[in-house]
Amino acid sequence: MRLAFILSEIGSGLRRNVSMVVSVILVTFVSLTFVGAAGMLQMQINQMKGYWYDKVQVAIFLCSEGSTAPGCATGSVTPEQQQSLNALLESPAVAQYINDFQFESKEEAYKHFKDQFSNSPIVDSVTPDQLPASFRINMKDPEKYQIISETFSSQPGVETVIDQRQLLERLFSVMNGASLVAVGIAGVMIVCAILLIATTIRLSAFSRRRETGIMRLVGASKTVIQLPFILEGVIAAVIGAALASGTLWAVAHFFLGDYMSRQYPDTAFISSGQTLILAPALLILGASLAGISSLLTLRRYLRV
Amino acid sequence: MIRFENVTKVYDQTARPALDSVNLEIDRGEFAFLVGASGSGKSTFLRLVLKEDRATSGAVYVAGQNVAKISSWRVPRLRRGIGVVFQDFRLLPQKNVFANVAFAMQVIGKSRSVIRDTVPEVLKTVGLEGKEHRMPHELSGGEQQRVAIARAVVNRPGILLADEPTGNLDPTTSMGIMGVLDKINQNGTTVVMATHDDDIVNEMRKRVVELKNGVVIRDEARALYTSMIPVVGQSRRLKDASGREAHDDGLPGEGREGEAQR
Ligand SMILES: Nc1ncnc2c1ncn2[C@@H]1O[C@H](COP(=O)(O)OP(=O)(O)OP(=O)(O)O)[C@@H](O)[C@H]1O
Ligand SMILES: [Mg+2]
Repeated sequence: MRLAFILSEIGSGLRRNVSMVVSVILVTFVSLTFVGAAGMLQMQINQMKGYWYDKVQVAIFLCSEGSTAPGCATGSVTPEQQQSLNALLESPAVAQYINDFQFESKEEAYKHFKDQFSNSPIVDSVTPDQLPASFRINMKDPEKYQIISETFSSQPGVETVIDQRQLLERLFSVMNGASLVAVGIAGVMIVCAILLIATTIRLSAFSRRRETGIMRLVGASKTVIQLPFILEGVIAAVIGAALASGTLWAVAHFFLGDYMSRQYPDTAFISSGQTLILAPALLILGASLAGISSLLTLRRYLRV
Repeated sequence: MIRFENVTKVYDQTARPALDSVNLEIDRGEFAFLVGASGSGKSTFLRLVLKEDRATSGAVYVAGQNVAKISSWRVPRLRRGIGVVFQDFRLLPQKNVFANVAFAMQVIGKSRSVIRDTVPEVLKTVGLEGKEHRMPHELSGGEQQRVAIARAVVNRPGILLADEPTGNLDPTTSMGIMGVLDKINQNGTTVVMATHDDDIVNEMRKRVVELKNGVVIRDEARALYTSMIPVVGQSRRLKDASGREAHDDGLPGEGREGEAQR
């Protein structure tokens, strides 16, 4: 009975100031979309880092069938060439710059590739043969990349030496910048959302002061009096959060999944499914923003 | 049922107290009028009973409980035991008569079936049977006040506080309302009514507590709106004046005459 009563109160409250409720929905929608966008950018950065990024800086790719590099005159890398490269890496001249290194076989390369590109159709057209084996090197000082590059580029069996960090770092710094901007905008929008929710609740409490006055007099509990107002804000904010989650999903699905991955087939993009882990976070964030801001407002404007 | 012990209420440090060391006891089942000029502290008295405000000093007891000691989350329970009626009715304009009365039961979680049974019964008590589906604006002032009374008593409070309930009504309608209040009082509810309406007080012949500048200057049973001898120091003679009447029937309030508080 009391639940039914509270629900009907919420319904009448939402109906009574539709325009305010709509603006709360829109403001939380926009602010949480920015929060989510920042989260998505970070997820995308992680996706692009792949398996090796945080573990090593430099990759020495070995020759495979059909390599055209000068060091690959003998075709695919031979076990002897691989052996001598390993010895060179362990020699004191090189070892002083290196923390450690690992060998990635074609099969391992295929496995890591599959993980990183799991969302992309490219994964079906690649076989382990097409992927080069490599040495992955964790540098003591990443700046010393040149030394490794000079030492190994001309070695037989080496196709190319790549400083992965350098390739991705500029892109990542742009993306990190973008997520900072998104967080900044989100912060401002969240302040707007909090103030707007507070105003909405205040108006709502004011327009229903007759009811609440009577409820107080006949001995309604604080919960029964305040809950409808709080839930009103929370419901509006949760709708906004749901819209934000839907928007992020749509961006990942249609923009990244369809358009971008066709434009840049060699880049790993996050899947639309992955963005769904942002949804609960956004819903909780929206609900607690609204809950806290309406609680604080009611403490001041609704005597119980 | 209601006991004030040396209660002082100061709203504004620079002004005189709204209530000044008031000592008063209203027993279970009693009917008492609070009279006095505007600003004499009648509404303040009622607000203190409801714990709408806290007394500056002294203690207010309601049903044996010191209201100052009731924690804020239990105040609703105190208020469920007290019905309140105001001069301006305070009905919800978009709800019909039935819904207005039912509202008081809904908010404290009464079940639909209990509400369906109780509300018509209470509406009958206040003389509104057949008008369940009228909207407040389709009712006369007197009928609206009956709805407000029905709402105040639908949860069967032990106390009914009425702050000038007939202030907006003509004399005939007012008497009708008084009939309702009297009936509720007969059913065992303690009624305290603040009023300026001398005709009503004179007609009802109930206990009268007169306030002046926050001080109780008269407390008589079966009294009139204005005492013939309203001065506190002469309360002995007051007793002689009204005491005889008191012995005729034996209604509650007997023995209280002349107990003008100091
Ligand atoms: N909330 C308040 N803040 C400050 N002063 C108040 C407040 N309420 C009442 N007062 C003062 O307390 C005094 C008593 O007021 P109260 O409302 O109790 O009088 P009353 O007897 O009910 O008057 P009336 O017959 O006009 O309703 C008045 O002087 C009034 O100005
Ligand atoms: Mg008053």
